[in-house]
Amino acid sequence: MAENQQLIEGNQTYASLDTVIGDVVLDQRRHKLPWLTTFGIASIFALFVLPLTLAWLLYQGIGVWGNNIPVGWGFPIVNFVWWIGIGHAGTLISAILLLLRQQWRNSINRFAEAMTIFAVMCAGMYPLFHTGRPWVAAYWLLPYPNIMAVWPQFRSPLMWDVFAVSTYFTVSLVFWFLGLVPDFATLRDKATNKFAKYAYAIPAMGWRGSHRHWHRYEQAYLILAGLSTPLVLSVHTIVSYDFAVSIVPGWNVTVFPPYFVAGAVFAGFAMVLLLAIPVRALYGLKDLITMRHIDWMAKIMLTTGLIVFYGYNLEVFYGWFSGEKVETALMQWRFYGPYAWAYWLLIFCNGIAPQILWSPKARRNIPIVWTVSFIVTIGMWLERFVIIPMSLMRNYLPSSDRMFIPTFWDFSMFFGTIGFFIFMMFLFVRFMPSITIFEMKDLLYKLGADKKPQSDAVGAGEAH
Amino acid sequence: MEDQTPNRLDMDLVRQKLADKRGPAYWRSLEEIAETPEFQGWLDDEFPHRRTLLEIDRRSLLKYMGASLALAGLAGCRGMELEELKVVPYVKQPEEMVPGKPLFYATAWTLGGVGLGLLVESHEGRPTKIEGNPDHPGSLGATTAQTQAAILSLYDPDRSAMVLNDGDGSTWDAFMDAVAAEFSNQKAVHGAGIRILTEVVVSPTLKAQLDGFLKVYPGARWHQYEPFARDNAFDGANLAFGQPVEAVYHLTKAKVIVSLDSDFLQDGLESVVLARQFAEGRRKLTAEDMNRLYVFESQLTCTGATSDHRWSMKPSSVHAVATALLQSVRSQGAVSPPKELSGADFNAVVQDLLAHRGQAVVIVGDQQPPEVHAIGHALNVALGAVGQTVTYHEPRAAHAVHTGRDLKSLVDDMNAGKVDVLVMLGGNPVFDAPVDYNFGEALKRVSRLRIRYGLYEDETTDACAAVDGGHSWHLPATHFLEQWSDTRGYDGTATVAQPLTAPLYDARSPHQLVAALAGDGAPGHDLMSDGYQIIADHWQSSGHISGDFDKGLAEVLHAGIVPNTTLAPRVVALKTFDAAPPSTTGFEVVLRPDPNLHDGRFNNNGWLMELPRPMTQLVWDNAAIISLKDAETLGVQRGDVVQVTVGKQTLAIPAFPQPGHPVGSVLIHTGFGRTKTGSVGMPTQHQSLMGFDLYAKTVGVDSYVLKTSGAAAYVTGATLTKTGQSETLVSTQIHHSMEGRDIVRAGTLAEYLRVPSLNPDKLANPPIVEQGDLDTGVPTETPEQPNIDMYPEEIWTTNLPQWGMTIDLNLCTGCNACITACQAENNIPVVGKTQVMKGREMQWLRIDRYYGGADPDNPSEVLVQPVACVQCEKAPCEPVCPVGATVHSHEGLNQMVYNRCVGTRYCSNNCPYKVRRFNFLDYSNLQFQFTEPATLINKIYKKDGVSLLKMVSNPDVTVRGRGVMEKCSYCVQRINDARIEAKKAGQEIQDGAILTACQQVCPTKTILFGNIADKKSEVFKSRSDERAYRLLEELNTRPRTSHLGKVRNVNPAITAQEGTA
Repeated sequence: MAENQQLIEGNQTYASLDTVIGDVVLDQRRHKLPWLTTFGIASIFALFVLPLTLAWLLYQGIGVWGNNIPVGWGFPIVNFVWWIGIGHAGTLISAILLLLRQQWRNSINRFAEAMTIFAVMCAGMYPLFHTGRPWVAAYWLLPYPNIMAVWPQFRSPLMWDVFAVSTYFTVSLVFWFLGLVPDFATLRDKATNKFAKYAYAIPAMGWRGSHRHWHRYEQAYLILAGLSTPLVLSVHTIVSYDFAVSIVPGWNVTVFPPYFVAGAVFAGFAMVLLLAIPVRALYGLKDLITMRHIDWMAKIMLTTGLIVFYGYNLEVFYGWFSGEKVETALMQWRFYGPYAWAYWLLIFCNGIAPQILWSPKARRNIPIVWTVSFIVTIGMWLERFVIIPMSLMRNYLPSSDRMFIPTFWDFSMFFGTIGFFIFMMFLFVRFMPSITIFEMKDLLYKLGADKKPQSDAVGAGEAH
Repeated sequence: MEDQTPNRLDMDLVRQKLADKRGPAYWRSLEEIAETPEFQGWLDDEFPHRRTLLEIDRRSLLKYMGASLALAGLAGCRGMELEELKVVPYVKQPEEMVPGKPLFYATAWTLGGVGLGLLVESHEGRPTKIEGNPDHPGSLGATTAQTQAAILSLYDPDRSAMVLNDGDGSTWDAFMDAVAAEFSNQKAVHGAGIRILTEVVVSPTLKAQLDGFLKVYPGARWHQYEPFARDNAFDGANLAFGQPVEAVYHLTKAKVIVSLDSDFLQDGLESVVLARQFAEGRRKLTAEDMNRLYVFESQLTCTGATSDHRWSMKPSSVHAVATALLQSVRSQGAVSPPKELSGADFNAVVQDLLAHRGQAVVIVGDQQPPEVHAIGHALNVALGAVGQTVTYHEPRAAHAVHTGRDLKSLVDDMNAGKVDVLVMLGGNPVFDAPVDYNFGEALKRVSRLRIRYGLYEDETTDACAAVDGGHSWHLPATHFLEQWSDTRGYDGTATVAQPLTAPLYDARSPHQLVAALAGDGAPGHDLMSDGYQIIADHWQSSGHISGDFDKGLAEVLHAGIVPNTTLAPRVVALKTFDAAPPSTTGFEVVLRPDPNLHDGRFNNNGWLMELPRPMTQLVWDNAAIISLKDAETLGVQRGDVVQVTVGKQTLAIPAFPQPGHPVGSVLIHTGFGRTKTGSVGMPTQHQSLMGFDLYAKTVGVDSYVLKTSGAAAYVTGATLTKTGQSETLVSTQIHHSMEGRDIVRAGTLAEYLRVPSLNPDKLANPPIVEQGDLDTGVPTETPEQPNIDMYPEEIWTTNLPQWGMTIDLNLCTGCNACITACQAENNIPVVGKTQVMKGREMQWLRIDRYYGGADPDNPSEVLVQPVACVQCEKAPCEPVCPVGATVHSHEGLNQMVYNRCVGTRYCSNNCPYKVRRFNFLDYSNLQFQFTEPATLINKIYKKDGVSLLKMVSNPDVTVRGRGVMEKCSYCVQRINDARIEAKKAGQEIQDGAILTACQQVCPTKTILFGNIADKKSEVFKSRSDERAYRLLEELNTRPRTSHLGKVRNVNPAITAQEGTA
């Protein structure tokens, strides 16, 4: 049972924690073929496919995608929202669970935060490159005093996005980096390779682990956690305003802010699980990311999945109850139109598949959890697809209706960013500690598990 | 560069060198000369030649177009000067030409045997926009879509630019020398071997010249041919009256109009004035004043959509309807109703006609056989319409013939070997002559000299050059804006047409050519300057310009009309005639000129290729238009290729099921499937990278293979079979139902009188009688909910004009003139078939077309609605732009700021009308992919050099770059211009001073624009009309454009709308 399982297993000591986590980074021989292969493929996408796509895009124009009038936003915005959503899990785990004093966050927060940073990087490419003229969009969207005496138009949700996403990225980055400083110091101290020593010494910024250092660290970390917490709710709320503030049928839905935030957490946890499960298996971190963690993450996924499913049902309800012909037409289009397959697949992926997680046995079953996470990741992408381009295909004036058909370049940019994400994640796993070393030590201390092993509870053995 | 410039003497040497050569040797010597530094220098300095035209830099080109540039052609005239004193502007003399302010010149053009008076806007000597001439009775200020697009053809880089001799480049002087010998031979036999083939000639001068030619060469013959000349009308008039009279309709006097397969509201240049007259009868919405239109047609047309009652039937069935109507009218009551409509309905139509004797008219369409035309004339006589709603006159064509038979006699002569010299002025007979004439084969028997004069090098040019034996010459024709000419309008009013620019290429007008051939031109004669003289001489001798001729001519040129030149009336007496009903078996294939490309002459015009055809909204293709039932029977869907077989001729063409199309009939437009045309008609050679622009080998299918020389313009006995293949047909509208929403408001006259706003909710739910009305018993309509404002609008507190527009759907026929006018005025690019397929057409104005009724095969109504940016007062596009590129002006305009737009497209998403257009690719520059290969290399290395197509751009309107949003701006450039003028004059802007492009060209005056804050303005009155409503008003967008509901004057006796096959 879950209660019997500990948050840290395997008779860990402070030293063993250093080794378990640190050696993943310091002992480069730990990264064998699986890492190389995946990294190799990801590099092709990140270093070849993605730059080529962006270059072609800049050269030809966004006409290389499938967008048209009325479907002004297609894959790029779908992917943008998808990536930002994925990033929310990290911040929630890092910030909110910290403030809520959930100790189980300690082993997953670093990994999740890294995921957030890289997801936001992927997401951030889109708002810039999806514009028709990114070479001016890059700076005209920023409020700086200029000789034209023209400010950006602040009533636009896209401007709020600019602030939200940039704030989110900045705060997350600082938060993540701050948390890494003591660990860099650990690695600096433990590293035998001279180059590694220097490489870690620089970001460690002279950390000595002194009292004063820790004191300031805790203060800063707490402040940043306090800043990040509202971001979890606000960023995706603002992203949802891109749609909710408009008059497009299917977009101006009041439930979007909480629905999007829940969806973001949903997608984020799915991605955390998707990545954490293989990493913990391949790098021997099962004692630190235990079945209990998996169990709880699955529960959060289930909860947010239920909220999202509630959102779907509400949308259908609105379509009927509002009496708006346009809304009803949109619902029928979703049910029976050419892209109905996407809608029903979405219902399955996000509504039906996660229900298996009600069962504790299922939550403990790694293959099931991983599969459900994968399905949910796809489902969340489909949700953005159903909301964004599909709603635009049906309009107030039926004469404007058009089909949206994605093109090769739509997919290539999407897979390019996925490749970029994996590329960065794998670099991270290889060169930075995936789990916060000192926080695990802290947890060890709090759990009292550093005492000698006793007969019953502690050290119940490897979980699977 | 300086030291390379040759002096004039060397130039003459160059010319002489060239002029002496013939055949392949000519090219070698040109290359030899080309190598010399003098020649290079000459090319660099003064361009004239086509090869360098595309590399000309802007300054030179402007110089060239200027009023006083010496046009130095390779072998053309030397030192031609466009005599500015001869070209007379409409408004101001050229001495007052102010750079930046356009001048307007009156001129005219001819299409299909009818002329149309025009005013052409000229910027610094460069024509950029065509408008109608308000003083011309056939135009009244309006034009058609084809007229608007004609300006693009002027700047078409694919136009024929150079004289070709057997396919090699040559000169006019060489041509004159070459033919001199042949013609002098012919003189000996009185020209027995000479044949001249022209299109239908309307120009009095050309007629006189050709007559003069025939006097010089009495053995020669002059033939006329156009594939869609009014041959059936010609024969019909002969059948009915014994003389080929021209019918001129006066629809303002008509209360009942019956159209027998005639698309008179959209087809042909006469549709401008006929639509205007028809619209006048729709303005007063009472039972006594409003006219009524019955249409019996074999395809869904604009006229059918505008009609009050429409029956669709196979073309052969129209005969039965016509006969029954005639018998009934003559018998003062309905007799033997045709099976195409119910007895009750037929009776109602007959009674309506009888009740409006003298105020009724019957119009028969061109594709109907002569018998139906004759029946139509008989009906008009029986209804007492002659002299009232229709008058009969001398033919408008200068020399009226049945062009089909005229061509036949020419082909017979050709086959018999009697033709030594064939001169073809215009037309494209190898492409569009009836297949059974086999003109291409007959051409091979013209063994000595084939002279082809045309605007493009086309199939006929190639066929001429391919013949063994003799010589063939291709002579580049001038565009109508480059030549002195004349024409006659719908009612015969003549216009002396002046050019707007010197010819851009080495071209001559047809008058100059005929004059030269008639012997006025000796070898080396300067053909160019004679163009004006020929016209002037003719008009001087015609006696129509009295008094001081020069002054009189200047006035005529200024006004654009020659007074007192209407068609002379003819007295007609109805004969008895035999009108046997046509046989009918199998499918009936109707071949009509494409509404945009006509018979194929506009095949290379990008605007017309991409303009959605009325009703089908097809672009870049023709199709076999069939009924939904037939499609189901055949098992084909849109785009599935069907094999249309008539006798030995067969054609594979994609099908297009069309609601409202009769069962058993196929409509195929002609003008497509050209094998030798420019890069719009044949874009394959310009594939661009990564295949994001995919073109078929040829655009559309050549349907002339089915055109035989039968009496009617439809072919019977066809079979259709499914081939199993399919093509992509692109149309700009995929959904045709309003789905019960309040989009187009329409109702019958009775409904209008009951609920003037035609609000569908109110029509469905009768209003509650208010307490106060119990006395009168008249129900009060509950007032519309007043606009509730949280913040009072500042803009209403200023004195600034508040711009607004109304579009009266009751008058709109859906003719598409407004769309093309907007495209011309606002520099809107052509994007090509693939981009339109993806949904990226760029026209700012679109005409939506909805079908109503339960039966898709027989829509009970067809509604059209022009939609452009409605300039919402509370525009949803404004708050969502992150950079503030769309803002609101104090005059009520929603302004699109191109240079601020970064292209996030949120504004387009938030626009409920979807009127915003985005430059997804570099469309404005990629237009030149239609003329220059859109290869990477070309894009990189295309340096200085102004592509000729850019010259059509309106300099007052920005050309938008890639990644920028654009939309209708209420022609803000015209508003600004008017504001400046008013300010200079110290006045307010007068009502009617600003005409938006769409407003100006609309034949029916559907669109009104002006200051809605001015209670005396036309637009205010129109907006206050009870029928006025705002599109999507419930979204609280407060549009400045109002639409006015359509009222159908249904005959109360016709209860069910029946359109049978």
